Amino acid sequence: MTAPGARIQRPRAASPLPGTRRPRRRSRLVWRPTLVALAFLSPALIGLVLLRLAPAVVAFWQSLQGGGILSGGEHFVGLDNYVELFSSADFIGSLLVTLLFTVIINPVQVAIAFLLAVLYTRRAAGSGFWRSLVILPIAVPPAVSAVIWSVIYRPDGLGNAFLGMLGLPAQPFLTSPTQSLTAIMVLLSWVGVGYWMLFLIAGINDVPTELYEAASLDGASAWRQLWTITFPLVRRPLAFVLVADTVSNFLVFAPVQILTKGGPEGSTNLLMHDIFNRAYTLGDLNTAQAEVIILVLLTLAIVAVQFRLLKSEDAA
Amino acid sequence: MSVTVTRRPRRLRTGYLLLSLVGALIGLAFLLPLWWTLVNSLRPGSDTFAFLNPLSWQTFFTLSPNLDNYVTLLSGDLGRAIGNSLFISVVTVVAGLLICAMAAFGLSAIPFRGRGAIFGIVILSFLIPFDAIAIPLADMFRDWNLQNTFIGLILPGIGNGMAIFLIRTFFLAIPTELVEAARLDGLGWWGVFRRIYLPLSRPALIGAGLTLFLFQWQAYMWPLLMGTDQNHIVGPVALSNLQGQFNVDYGVMFAASVILTLIPLLIIMICQRYFIQSVSTSGLK
Repeated sequence: MTAPGARIQRPRAASPLPGTRRPRRRSRLVWRPTLVALAFLSPALIGLVLLRLAPAVVAFWQSLQGGGILSGGEHFVGLDNYVELFSSADFIGSLLVTLLFTVIINPVQVAIAFLLAVLYTRRAAGSGFWRSLVILPIAVPPAVSAVIWSVIYRPDGLGNAFLGMLGLPAQPFLTSPTQSLTAIMVLLSWVGVGYWMLFLIAGINDVPTELYEAASLDGASAWRQLWTITFPLVRRPLAFVLVADTVSNFLVFAPVQILTKGGPEGSTNLLMHDIFNRAYTLGDLNTAQAEVIILVLLTLAIVAVQFRLLKSEDAA
Repeated sequence: MSVTVTRRPRRLRTGYLLLSLVGALIGLAFLLPLWWTLVNSLRPGSDTFAFLNPLSWQTFFTLSPNLDNYVTLLSGDLGRAIGNSLFISVVTVVAGLLICAMAAFGLSAIPFRGRGAIFGIVILSFLIPFDAIAIPLADMFRDWNLQNTFIGLILPGIGNGMAIFLIRTFFLAIPTELVEAARLDGLGWWGVFRRIYLPLSRPALIGAGLTLFLFQWQAYMWPLLMGTDQNHIVGPVALSNLQGQFNVDYGVMFAASVILTLIPLLIIMICQRYFIQSVSTSGLK
């Protein structure tokens, strides 16, 4: 407890909460911390509201407008833009490509990241060094990785050189409608897996060593220990990684824009690129905003579903 | 760092060799594209495709490495663009860390009514991915005349829900008794923040700083929308512009790729331990 004398000498502002437990100062007790907390929070809150939430509201508002210069200025058109979107083959195609992409790339990336995390937390020669090599590509900005892989995927590039060495025929990669999406997934995984692995390594390192020692004494094999100790105990980092990975893969843009522009035949036309294309190549900003809203809602839905799944798992 | 400590040496040895081999092969496979990029940046652009058919040792090594491509790069527009990236990222980290750490402190150290609601706003703002709202935001920024300005390029990076979340998680682990004791000793809230929370949270701050840095350094869509004039264009956009041109000097292109990768790489390497700590543990455990 502060001595009463000391409290009087000190200006109020410098010491907002002297004698915390005194009932006399009750109203101050309730309001002072709130104001102080809001002062700490306000710069970030203003930024987040203005730069993250406001654009979503603006996008929603503009998605309800239509017309443009040709038909006498913007006016309220209700859900017309959404109706137009869903009757557009391009958009439906983009939606399907994005779903296919999401369903494949996320489980694969998380599984690889988990197995690599397990591998690189075992005691082995140069484990830390090899692990760094896997982490290395996370430093490569998406646009740079796209440029590097554009050379690898060239008909006369490194990719086909390797296939040639193995005696396999040259592949078209990015110019083939059946291979382009996979080609993009490979380059994204090259960049992404090491990043997600970091989180899982952190989770694995948090598992108390005694659990493994106890299991070893009980004769549990390394494989069994992996699934009965490691896996359940890193479920939280795994959950985080799955959610974050899904969201980040939902927003893939640079490789598509740089490598394929959505083609060939729309096979890599992921939603982000379709939005960009609609807004700036086709110049239909209102419909693009409608698509932004759909993208945001889909993202939120994915996150919600994944959190729900994980919660019910916790209860079980 | 290793977790499994088996006390049976004989079983360990076979497993040890196998794990080492697999680990090495996978590591090398991940290294390969970057290594190839590096080697190509050290030889003339005309050599890029010279050793691919068939593959030979020369594909991945050169006996006469030189820095010509880097000299060309740094004296050109691409070098300037990389400088822009660096400036934008550094300002973002400094301003962003302060703002995000303050917000995290407000959300974790000070109990007040409505804390849950405000944390909800933070969560919501980071659930709405930035790239998704980049197009409407770019529209707003154009109205505010922020196109082709550094402010326009930097602003979206500094309020980062993810960074706030990371720091807050760490802050929550700091015992409230510590705060109460400091408060009773007459330390103001700013003092608690500055003298207790910040020094105890170095790993979280470094992790969050890295998040902020990478957000800007890796940005592609936003700078493509916001700053494409010669004075503001960022490295990745300038590099990808080469992609569509006819006479691309592949040597210079690879040199730019190496620099754009090397800068964040060095930072990640230095911070790796803190980064992992910030994700997993609190310094007070």
